[in-house]
Amino acid sequence: MKKLFLTLAAVCLLASAAFAEKKEVHILSANDMHAKIENFPQLAAIADSLRGLYPSLLIISAGDNRTGEPLNDLYEIPAYPMVVLMNMVGFDATTMGNHEFDSGAKGLGELMRMSTFSYICCNLMPAPEVGVMPRPTQIFDVDGVRVGFVGAVQINERHTPDTHPDNVVGLSFTPVLETVEKYRSIREECDAVVLLSHIGYEDDVKISAELPWVDLIIGGHSHTQLAGGEMHNGILITQNTNRLERVTHITLTVEDGRVVDKKAENIEVATYPKKNKVVEEVVRYFSDNPEFQRVLATLTAPMTSYEQLGCMMTDAWRVETGSDVAITNTGGVRYDYLPAGPFTVSDVLRLDPFGNDTVQLELTGQELKDMIIATTYNDTYGFPKVSGIICNVVFDKKHPEKIKELKITNPDGSKFDLKKTYKVVTNSYTASIADSPRKDQGRALNRTTASIIQEYLEHQGTIDYTGVQRTFQSVSKK
Amino acid sequence: MKVQVNRTVVDIFDGAQSQHAVLRYLVHRRLAKSLLKTGRIQDAWGHDIGLDAPLHEGQILKFKIK
Repeated sequence: MKKLFLTLAAVCLLASAAFAEKKEVHILSANDMHAKIENFPQLAAIADSLRGLYPSLLIISAGDNRTGEPLNDLYEIPAYPMVVLMNMVGFDATTMGNHEFDSGAKGLGELMRMSTFSYICCNLMPAPEVGVMPRPTQIFDVDGVRVGFVGAVQINERHTPDTHPDNVVGLSFTPVLETVEKYRSIREECDAVVLLSHIGYEDDVKISAELPWVDLIIGGHSHTQLAGGEMHNGILITQNTNRLERVTHITLTVEDGRVVDKKAENIEVATYPKKNKVVEEVVRYFSDNPEFQRVLATLTAPMTSYEQLGCMMTDAWRVETGSDVAITNTGGVRYDYLPAGPFTVSDVLRLDPFGNDTVQLELTGQELKDMIIATTYNDTYGFPKVSGIICNVVFDKKHPEKIKELKITNPDGSKFDLKKTYKVVTNSYTASIADSPRKDQGRALNRTTASIIQEYLEHQGTIDYTGVQRTFQSVSKK
Repeated sequence: MKVQVNRTVVDIFDGAQSQHAVLRYLVHRRLAKSLLKTGRIQDAWGHDIGLDAPLHEGQILKFKIK
């Protein structure tokens, strides 16, 4: 009897070993696409090819799908083209990136309703009144293998993602690690667990030490180019640089309810030799965006100099951000003539094409004066353009690149107070190249300078800068 | 916020991207700003990062001139 029992046990053991078959899960992951819609025909072709080989392929994004491309950001419904293209490529899920909030909670809710893929983010609380209903987790059944995803978005010291504070009004966020930990039980339900993270590479590495129940971190936010994937604390971490230069093909091998092998390789997108023709046609349709011809304001007289156009730009930044003074490097003003008539979105994007962020600083009059001088020395194009002040600058006759004297006055001609503190606004380029001493380096408002100019023109309706001049330049006699 | 580019600590606005810190570094070192377009920006581990990678306080960047 004992012999028979042992024989049966051995047969059962062998049978169970034979049934513990290895299965592969294939994931195509992107991160920080930032609306690089031009690369979508290639991305779609990559997805098509992989789906031909692995029909149950999961296509996943680690967030920041939008923002960075006027074709997408200025669409009638901002970021609509990206949602359409992600739907077409067949994305299964994304997490929230900090830029997903760039058109506010209501704008995000609208995009979520249009998406055929899900939004997984455990540290963003649902806000049903605006349609923002992320899933904290999602489990995909991939040919009998259960793959669980937990999503998380970066939050800063203000307990919100890095976007303009107005964009997250009505939304609340919780700390990443302690919130992710709450969903540990997903391990019991799944054969493989993936953290879909938009918290940046450094934090992915740190957090990996705390999450032994996770198999894979698909990362984003820091635009870190990894060579495929890296192992940290037994967890495979992947991430690529931004704007769809590369995507990652991840393979998880699962046996007997656990991941026994994991690997990742990058695929070049921009140079991929094939394109999906249908997606290419849709990208062409979005590229011919009528929004660019929209009239923002009417110019009653032509603008005929860099000075006039620079005055208009800086007026826009000063007025729309409630600042006292605005300055721009002259190289940031890209043309010097615009005929009377309509001032369109396209005109603004040609005038300020760099995608610069808006930076606000609190400066004393002296610090502002030093910043203007530093901008002059470090910008190839000379003395900056200003709003809220008048500048009389005298260059040295012997050293024409050197400023001998700079006199600043208030717009009404009264004395400018060098000790008073002013709210100053500029673009991110000027804030970077002006290396003068100051206590406050400022903070990005997470709004492009071009979008603020558009807002200003729409508020003004008609504009006339005939004869406007705020910087007066001369050369010393000696 | 303060970030380190090579051996230089630069003070830059909150919300800056890697390109802004490197621009400040180039200006501080009296190097041509055009190097930003040809150089490589890497994180502390030596991974390449993009020009518009977000930064945080205390981050270490390496800028390699090609």
